[in-house]
Amino acid sequence: MFRSMIREVTNGCVIAGLLAGLPMVAAGQWKAKDTEWPSYAADLAATRYRPLDQINAANFSELEIAWRIKTDNFGNRPEYKLEGTPLMVNGVLHTTAGSRRAAIALDAATGELLWIHGEHEGARGGAAPRQLSGRGLAYWSDGKDERILYVTPGYQLICLDAKTGTRVEGFGNKGAVDLKQNDDQEILPDLTTGEIGIQSAPVVAKDTIIIGAAFREGMTPKSMRNNKGYVRGFDVRTGKRLWIFHTIPKKGEFGYDTWLNGSAEYTGNTGVWSQITVDEELGLVYLPVESPTNDFYGGHRPGNNLFGETLVCVDLKTGQRKWHFQLVHHPMWDMDISSAPILANITVDGKAVKAVALPSKQGFLYVFDRVTGKPVWPIDEKPVEVGTVPGEWYSPTQPIPSKPPAYSRNGVLESDLIDFTPELRDRGKAIASKYHLGPVFTPPTESKLDGPLGTLTVGTASGGTNWPGGSYDPETHIVYAFACTACAEPIGLVRAPKTVSDMNYVAGTAGKEVTILRGPGENAGADSPMPPKQRAGSGYVALNVDGLPLLKPPYGTISAINLDKGEIVWQVAHGETPDVVRNHPALKGMNIPRTGQETYNIGTLVTKTLVIAGDGQITTTTEHPRGAMLRAYDKQTGKEVGAVYMPAPQSGSPMTYMVNGKQYIVVAVSGGAYSGEYIAFSLPAAE
Amino acid sequence: MPRWGAAMLRPYGIGCAICFLAALAASGQEAPAPSRSVWDGVYTEEQAKRGEEMYRKECASCHGDALVGGGGAAPLSGGTFLSNWNGLTVGDLFERIRKTMPQGALGKLTKQQDADVLAYLLSFNKFPAGKTELQKQVEFLKEIRFEATRPEAK
Repeated sequence: MFRSMIREVTNGCVIAGLLAGLPMVAAGQWKAKDTEWPSYAADLAATRYRPLDQINAANFSELEIAWRIKTDNFGNRPEYKLEGTPLMVNGVLHTTAGSRRAAIALDAATGELLWIHGEHEGARGGAAPRQLSGRGLAYWSDGKDERILYVTPGYQLICLDAKTGTRVEGFGNKGAVDLKQNDDQEILPDLTTGEIGIQSAPVVAKDTIIIGAAFREGMTPKSMRNNKGYVRGFDVRTGKRLWIFHTIPKKGEFGYDTWLNGSAEYTGNTGVWSQITVDEELGLVYLPVESPTNDFYGGHRPGNNLFGETLVCVDLKTGQRKWHFQLVHHPMWDMDISSAPILANITVDGKAVKAVALPSKQGFLYVFDRVTGKPVWPIDEKPVEVGTVPGEWYSPTQPIPSKPPAYSRNGVLESDLIDFTPELRDRGKAIASKYHLGPVFTPPTESKLDGPLGTLTVGTASGGTNWPGGSYDPETHIVYAFACTACAEPIGLVRAPKTVSDMNYVAGTAGKEVTILRGPGENAGADSPMPPKQRAGSGYVALNVDGLPLLKPPYGTISAINLDKGEIVWQVAHGETPDVVRNHPALKGMNIPRTGQETYNIGTLVTKTLVIAGDGQITTTTEHPRGAMLRAYDKQTGKEVGAVYMPAPQSGSPMTYMVNGKQYIVVAVSGGAYSGEYIAFSLPAAE
Repeated sequence: MPRWGAAMLRPYGIGCAICFLAALAASGQEAPAPSRSVWDGVYTEEQAKRGEEMYRKECASCHGDALVGGGGAAPLSGGTFLSNWNGLTVGDLFERIRKTMPQGALGKLTKQQDADVLAYLLSFNKFPAGKTELQKQVEFLKEIRFEATRPEAK
């Protein structure tokens, strides 16, 4: 019965691929063609680039839906937050989908379902900190075997035969590795409920699978103690652990002394939840490490806290640290490192540099020599405001890049507030007056009823470039990155009742009951049981003026940044002006240029000539019915050259490939009333 | 560890997939625009108060007490929320709540409680209260347009 539903992949697609001449390299290594998309971000360098040009400025607006697939039935409930980017190899598209986080394989030309694999994890899946379909999976081949690897919500690494979707018996324990074990720590309180998981796609490089870790949202943790997010390498053939990197150093290891009072022993989180990149030639892995326990209060972990919010380069074979650069000392803004490091071979002042470029929530594009870790342009320690929250430890300086300039707003001053009209400006100022304002790295405040309620920030938890990361054009040496420039985030701290947390302070607002904040997707997966009763209250305050954003436009941008020069080449507002702005009575008669949109999950795709990204919000205009547009920009100038309608916002980053001589663009859409769907666009057949 | 094998997945046969796509295509059909909107006083203040109580108990831990979301949970006020639902009906929003909320505890709230929470969302977003309560039948709620901005007086 199982065979009957599987299309003859082996007889059709794969053999066709081999006849077409799959490039083979030494030692049985397999190499993808540039018409394929073999890794989450196109390649291990995380470029999101393919040199395809069948879809171009002249015809982008003519795109039609080639096929589509809803993900509602890949789990026992629909999901409205589909974030995956599929892979495409040998004419087969692989991705994760649905509240089960099923792995599925589709015919890349038609969308026909070839196979599906899902894991029923019961209570373990239901307790997972990162649920729903995740961001994708990894493909590996030695030219003969083809394998798919993904991590379940319950933190199991699953290895499947890419042709059939069945577990590879010889890998780990009958095709699975329990990632909660053999992790140089005991995952507490137990393997079922112990908090650790991941939603990003695994990476495979030279037969080594690399897996990071993620946790619940870290704004109001129950404890200063938590499990730690180490990174491990596994053998793709056997599932055997090859190495581990301790993102919080153990006693005796480098960096342990940056955790004063022995706080490295109990502090947790500090995982790598974003995408990992690898330079196979150099044998180096680039790890973007997130925040340590409690996103906004570090009073229980005095010191700089290596390797929190640090870019760490480790050896692909051993996991040994080669170099590191801490972007934020003693993190307290939830800046994480949100984006995949991008590998770029550039030319600076006439010299070739093997670089790594890192987009960020804080709107800086950090650029390093990826061999040595030395900044390509100076990143100087600059004095920053020292806060007054009792018990907090403050770094007096933070590293600030001299080049390129910040590509996204990363602080809130009065000049950043809404200013369409004097009345709106006054109302915006009245809201902002309740908060502490300042530039990047202005510290959080204790929330007080008589003010401030907190620090009003942008470029922190959900600002700038988030998990989709950027794109890179290896021909022109330009990075493209979406940024939310108006995702304002008030950060206030309140004393935590002992019934809620053992921390001195957690995120909250004075006068409001403190409770544990949960993140999207938590307790939403197919294995989730009834949750414990939640207490009322939370930490955020509305930041809009009659529905209008508190900060002035642009609300969201795409920037093109030249890495040879460290300069912004162009920047455009991305996303249709929201309905609430276009139709607002207070703005009637005003000519407001496109504002872009406040959203934090837009990823870009680069082709031979275009930069492509979809809107993150629904709009209804005279040009299109209720929906969102997938837009194409001339990558040289930023001019919009085409757009095609989607029924819902882009919620996963677009990818592209060629199959049977035809180029496709696939994008995940979802949100609001629209449940998850992958849509494939291609040009209409010649008439 | 219990698991699904691909062999167990009979429901994903080709026939079903075709039915599914056909149903999807059908759902895209436009219905005639309803005559009432959220600006016509479609809930009562008392109902919104009941809804607020329920919201605090069941929704605020993710969506925040000022309905702006948290850690990426969808905002239920402001521009993004209004954009998400503008042009749809109150019934569409009601159905989304019924289908997915509260997270991990589907079916915990009755239809009446969901309607009350919905009344609170409308109240918080400054849509005017009226003299009759928001009903709990989705068919009736689909007769109420969700409009982000107040229509001009005729």
